Amino acid sequence: MYIMTHIQSIRLLAACALTAITMQACIKSEPPNPEADIESFTVPDSLLTGDVFIDQSNRKILLYLDPEAFDKGVAPVITTTKGAKVSPASGDSIFFTGQDNVYTVTSASGENRKQYTVEVVSIGEWDWQFEKWLIHDKDKYQYVIEEDGGQVWSSGNPGVALSGVPKRPDGYPLRATEDSESGTYAAELVTLKGTVLSNLVGIKLFAGSLFLGNFDVSNAFLEPLKATQFGQPFTGKATRFTGYYKYTPGASYQDREGNILPGVTDSCAIYAVLYTGRTRLDATNIHTSERIVATARLPDGSGRGNFTRFDIPFTYIPGRSATKEMMMAIVASSSKDGDQYRGAIGSRLVVDSLAIIQ
Amino acid sequence: MNNRIIILFLAIISATGVQAQHLEHRIQAGFNIGATAPVGLPNTIRKINSYRPEFCPSLGYELSWRPAKASEWGAAVGVKLDYKGMTTKDEVMYFHTMITMEDGSGKSEFEGAFTGKNKTTVRNAYVSFPISATYTPNDNWRLHLGGYMAWLFSANFYGNVSDGYIRNGGSLGEKVNVSEAEFDFGTDMRRFDAGLQGGAERRVGKKLRVMGNLSWGLRPVFPSDFRGMDFPMYNIFVTLGVTYRI
Repeated sequence: MYIMTHIQSIRLLAACALTAITMQACIKSEPPNPEADIESFTVPDSLLTGDVFIDQSNRKILLYLDPEAFDKGVAPVITTTKGAKVSPASGDSIFFTGQDNVYTVTSASGENRKQYTVEVVSIGEWDWQFEKWLIHDKDKYQYVIEEDGGQVWSSGNPGVALSGVPKRPDGYPLRATEDSESGTYAAELVTLKGTVLSNLVGIKLFAGSLFLGNFDVSNAFLEPLKATQFGQPFTGKATRFTGYYKYTPGASYQDREGNILPGVTDSCAIYAVLYTGRTRLDATNIHTSERIVATARLPDGSGRGNFTRFDIPFTYIPGRSATKEMMMAIVASSSKDGDQYRGAIGSRLVVDSLAIIQ
Repeated sequence: MNNRIIILFLAIISATGVQAQHLEHRIQAGFNIGATAPVGLPNTIRKINSYRPEFCPSLGYELSWRPAKASEWGAAVGVKLDYKGMTTKDEVMYFHTMITMEDGSGKSEFEGAFTGKNKTTVRNAYVSFPISATYTPNDNWRLHLGGYMAWLFSANFYGNVSDGYIRNGGSLGEKVNVSEAEFDFGTDMRRFDAGLQGGAERRVGKKLRVMGNLSWGLRPVFPSDFRGMDFPMYNIFVTLGVTYRI
């Protein structure tokens, strides 16, 4: 009886105190959705030369259109974040008459708006001097655009931006340099040390990369090798891949864990891959896909103090033939094994005047 | 820090010589159960999937004074070693966070809005100094109410986010899928905490009493410039245990 009383008093004390805490622990009603993404943008396959890419980092819809579709306009089917509204509406026709097509998405919460600009991507000349560079508004990395403003090259920079590097162009592995072979600028790729944050996910270095294609930032953490979407629609017959480069390997080569491997020297990679289809290959299959028809790769990625010209014929794989729909990828990296996070910090590759000779 | 605590402790002990007839000494032992939590959950927290107290002992000494042996009112001071901790698993939506980390080579920062699952473990060790007014209505009960100051000497505040996505910069930023990412805010925590505390004791033996004590921190555990979470969190813990008069 006496003991019971004490147990009861303990219970009473505990109950009083815990009630005070749990009273606060009520779940409030769900906040209205503040997000305003275009999640999908669908145009019939027959009108496309390459898969539509929604560049969420730069808020662009990149379209690769058949010339006829370009002339007639398209009526894309659009899906957005749940509850958001889009204008022009899904299913409305848009035309390419010189004015920008801009989609405005308003979040369900009403407070947030996001604008996406439609960009019809077509490559006229397969020849690049890397003269026009822009700086990303928020993250301050540089990216290269075509003379007409089109976006055909990409890099790992949008992914590196997630790791808390300093927000300035030289904080990123790809940037413009005035150390050029021709014109004012060339593309400079530098292998950089990972950050404290990237170390948390096991990334100890960022290799500089530059490639024809797009960077899918949604995959940057989960499947980084699938984030680099290589290739642009290509027609014709590729015969040679030419360009200029110079390369200085960094002092100490390190493995994925960051251990220095004595006696190993970093090397660069520069290659072009021609493959069939409309869907891009990525770093998981750019060397192995059955869709590859021809390749041209720099045979020796060792150091070159001065600009060095390369002129590599495409090697066509016997038994594989071109189809109507083809894609061409060009990939350059300041550390050949950078996709495995191996390389030497400080390795520097400069490329200029890249061309596919038809 | 530890030296200062010992000196204070000795000062309290030596004070006992002055008016021994009105003073009582008690040893307190118990466990802290509670949470380091926002007062009123923000609407970005959608669901609490689990809560588990960490092993959080509390051990202390209390010196109490009454004007006369039979007085109902008195005062008490104490010194306690308090572990305060918990592990929660929850689900959040559009949760704003900014992670800043520094090492020898520099600082890296990431700001974004996370939607997904979160697991947080807190286990902090404080040296606390409670000061109370005491009320002793009869031999069986003793109540006290007052405040406390506490110094953090070992901080753990870590966890992970998983099965979700984070948006770079905020709700309008690009979406990045996350399978699992760790965070550790231990070094960001404030070293000083202060708040209110009060409780009751019930006699169960000649010198032994059971006690319950609520301590409610009034100072957010993270400084105002900390942006890992955009709401203040407080130490709110109950100590359940025994006191023994010596």
